[in-house]
Amino acid sequence: MKYMALIYADASRWEHFSPEQREAAYGRYRAFGEEATRANVMLGGAELAPTHDATTVRIQDAETLVTDGPYAEVKEALGGYYLLECASLDEALDWAAKIPGAEHGAVEVRALHVDDAGSEAA
Amino acid sequence: MKYAFLIYDDPTSWESLPEDEALKFRAQEMPRWEAAMGELASVDPNFEGYELESRSTAKVVRVRDGERMVTDGPFAETKEVIGGFFVADVPDLDDAIRLGAQIPSAEGGSIEIRPVLG
Repeated sequence: MKYMALIYADASRWEHFSPEQREAAYGRYRAFGEEATRANVMLGGAELAPTHDATTVRIQDAETLVTDGPYAEVKEALGGYYLLECASLDEALDWAAKIPGAEHGAVEVRALHVDDAGSEAA
Repeated sequence: MKYAFLIYDDPTSWESLPEDEALKFRAQEMPRWEAAMGELASVDPNFEGYELESRSTAKVVRVRDGERMVTDGPFAETKEVIGGFFVADVPDLDDAIRLGAQIPSAEGGSIEIRPVLG
């Protein structure tokens, strides 16, 4: 079963980090990635640019509206994700708790949708 | 440039439907999703797409002072929540906007486009 771990954190915290603090934080993420890879749990992941680099698109009355900024201005925004292969939700929650962002932000765990044919969304 | 297309939708509009009607709704929408994914594939054949299970299944994990707390999700309290996302390598933001506008949820919902780092 595939689970998405969505990492929500306060990006301004990161922006106040010294280079050493950033390197330490990246190091912890790398260690998580290596541990999950060794356990054959890691399927992928990515870090997203901060929300001030976001662009939001909507269609209203057949017109495309483009705005600078994220969908919602929130203190803790989605900052990245990991896709994990786990036997159960409990196992996915165990891994999610090891993601460094869980210690200051929050990690939302959602299963990937499986369609009726049994294949996971490509 | 790699971009993530975060799909924000109000799922209550169709999650409240009886199952057969929800399936019918999904089947009706599918050709438009396939068209959007065809466009993405024409720009990046290796694009990724993830559809998440409904928000009612979400769990949120926090660790504070070494203690793990799990609550029912989703994390965001907004009416529209992430239902899935695409990640695609596209030439520039203008292309990303053009592709984002073709995702069916741009109507009635929102597509947030974020550069992917690294």
